[in-house]
Amino acid sequence: MSNHRANVGGWLKGKTVRKSGLTSNAHTARSSTPQVQSTSSTLFSGGVKDASGRTTEYFSMDDQCPVCKSDRYLNPKLRLLVSSCYHKMCESCIDRLFTLGPAPCPICQKVLRKLAFTPQTFEDLTVEKEIAVRRRIAKEFNKRREDFFDLHSYNDYLEEVEDITFNLINDVDIPQTEARILAHRRENAALIELNFQREEQYAQALKEQEELERQEKEQRALELRREQEIEREERETAQREIIDRLETSTKSAAKVIAKSRAEAMKRSSARSTTTTVLRSNAQLLRARAAQSTVVPDPPHVPLQDDWYAYEDLYTVRDQYDDMYSDAVRKDREGIMRAGGYRVEEAWDRALRCAVAELDLAPLSGLNPSSGRTESVVAST
Amino acid sequence: MAADNIAKAANPQTNSSTVKKPLYEGSTQYKSWRYSPEQLEQVRTSLNTAAVAVIRNTFEADEPGSSEDVLFLNANEEQLLVKLYITKIPQLCGHFRFPEEVEATAISYLKRFYLKNTVMDWHPKNVMLTALFLATKTTNNPISLESYTSNIPKTSSSDVLDLEFLVSQSLNFEFAVWHAHRALWGIWLDLQSLPDVSDELRPQDVYDIAIKHVRASRFTDAELIYTPSQIALASLALASPLLAERWADSKAAAGAAQPLSATLDPTLGSVKYIITQMGHPPDVEAVREVDRRLKLCKNPEKVPGSKAYLARQAAEQRRAEEKRNKKAEDVRKAVTEGGNPFGSELNEDEKAKQLAELDDDDDD
Repeated sequence: MSNHRANVGGWLKGKTVRKSGLTSNAHTARSSTPQVQSTSSTLFSGGVKDASGRTTEYFSMDDQCPVCKSDRYLNPKLRLLVSSCYHKMCESCIDRLFTLGPAPCPICQKVLRKLAFTPQTFEDLTVEKEIAVRRRIAKEFNKRREDFFDLHSYNDYLEEVEDITFNLINDVDIPQTEARILAHRRENAALIELNFQREEQYAQALKEQEELERQEKEQRALELRREQEIEREERETAQREIIDRLETSTKSAAKVIAKSRAEAMKRSSARSTTTTVLRSNAQLLRARAAQSTVVPDPPHVPLQDDWYAYEDLYTVRDQYDDMYSDAVRKDREGIMRAGGYRVEEAWDRALRCAVAELDLAPLSGLNPSSGRTESVVAST
Repeated sequence: MAADNIAKAANPQTNSSTVKKPLYEGSTQYKSWRYSPEQLEQVRTSLNTAAVAVIRNTFEADEPGSSEDVLFLNANEEQLLVKLYITKIPQLCGHFRFPEEVEATAISYLKRFYLKNTVMDWHPKNVMLTALFLATKTTNNPISLESYTSNIPKTSSSDVLDLEFLVSQSLNFEFAVWHAHRALWGIWLDLQSLPDVSDELRPQDVYDIAIKHVRASRFTDAELIYTPSQIALASLALASPLLAERWADSKAAAGAAQPLSATLDPTLGSVKYIITQMGHPPDVEAVREVDRRLKLCKNPEKVPGSKAYLARQAAEQRRAEEKRNKKAEDVRKAVTEGGNPFGSELNEDEKAKQLAELDDDDDD
């Protein structure tokens, strides 16, 4: 596998490239160096359009066109595009070579058209190629776990898919691999269609839900803002009232203030009972997850071990006349009881201790046998 | 054994395929801290003679001929000193208001420690403090080290902490102890379930006397020989023989050859004897004498600052140094000479040899 990647230089050979995205534009020394911005209609390799328009092209100061060897120093507007055979070329070379129609790629002689060139997203071209291959495969091989009898056949299917992908990425047995893809498509056409539809529906549903949530959040934010404003106004009016009352009334200042504060409290408590409870983001996610899968719930089997705990030698009663646990039992408020403490368990432990091995003969002599279990074997 | 039939008859569903093991037999107290009286004596004497030999050698190495006059302690005298410090634990617990479980656990720890170490190496004074501190932690009644040492005069935190690992190691890290006072509590509760025992027959005084006997039993070796339930029953028998007999008989399974009380009589008799004869604090004068002699025959290696201690430390450092150099040498050789710093592939007998030479203990 390492042979295939021998031509990958980059980080393995220690030539680290400073990756500059949108954010580090501010720090580039040459502010006149143009950064190519992608828009939402830029067609990346594999026929992908990034709808958000936020994917930037790969860019490095040491870019050099392998065909004409020009770099950014001489040609600041240098832009390297990638061919469908994954070779890089600058735009001027592409123009020069392919304007008059399809022509062989100068590096590998594969016949290309001008359209076949797309901007680069990743530093490593093998990654680009892999992504394009996987995108293509994922469109066809979209079976899911539920489509198989058992885990084993599902795993076999997955292995087959990975095998095909690997072959395509590393140019191994291309014709046979293509034949396999074709065979799979023909056999499972219906299922592929079905799964495709299902995925689309799911994506749609997800989008709608997110829309709803966003709207809800906006609503809530709006209401919150409104409430805050109302509160502020009320507070101001209350203050003005206090001042008026202090001017006009004859009662003591402290009493007036206390009365108005009590009224303010009443108002705020009345308001808080009417506000709705905000559903947290986590709860929403959980609700969504719960809808999608159904987890079976087998009945609980309590732990069973093979220890004999002398249960038959005693019974625990509900009530004992017991001075040790008096304080705990009288404390019905639960101040003394830690979570999960039951006085019956303490009694159980004491009783067990009282009957444990009452008849165990003590050891005697200098080399005694190890006690009960051995002597049982000996006597039977 | 007739005694086993009780358990078997009471448990009719046990067949040969799934015999359930009694819970107490899974405890470390049963597995490693259970002795016969003869064994106890043997352990103590052998420990004592071995220690005396080692200390004698240390004295000789220091100054030939000095060990002739030194009167080393014998096993009984060590026992006496330990017993004195055992009696000090309840006083301390009363001062701190620790629950009884802490007291009982600490006493157990102290006893067990001196089944593995000798008094001449480690003086019981600090071991007692450490055992008590450890007991508060293992029984879930912890207090901070500062509040502990500040409440005991003339104690610093290092007195307690320095020995903590040693004590834990000597206990083999087996910290859970089954106690007789809990068994007595259980018997007292269970007496209320007996139909023929009315409230007048079990006044509180009987319980008080019985618990006093249990506390006395802690000064003896009873817990190293008998189970806590036996000790508790014996204490109750000393306080009220009638109640003890009634309760024991109620525990017998139907169809046993004789009532349980009769079967247990010899065992209980020995426990009663131990409690009554040996359950009181030792004579202070005798202990003082022992302590005086201990000052002379203490192991100099354990006294920080003495010649032997420093010599021992130097020897250990030298050994560690050698080991380090050897390792560095090996690595250097592997890197420069061979191409495999992690060693080459081993065949079977080389593997075995390397495993035999492997030295992965942590005490250097």
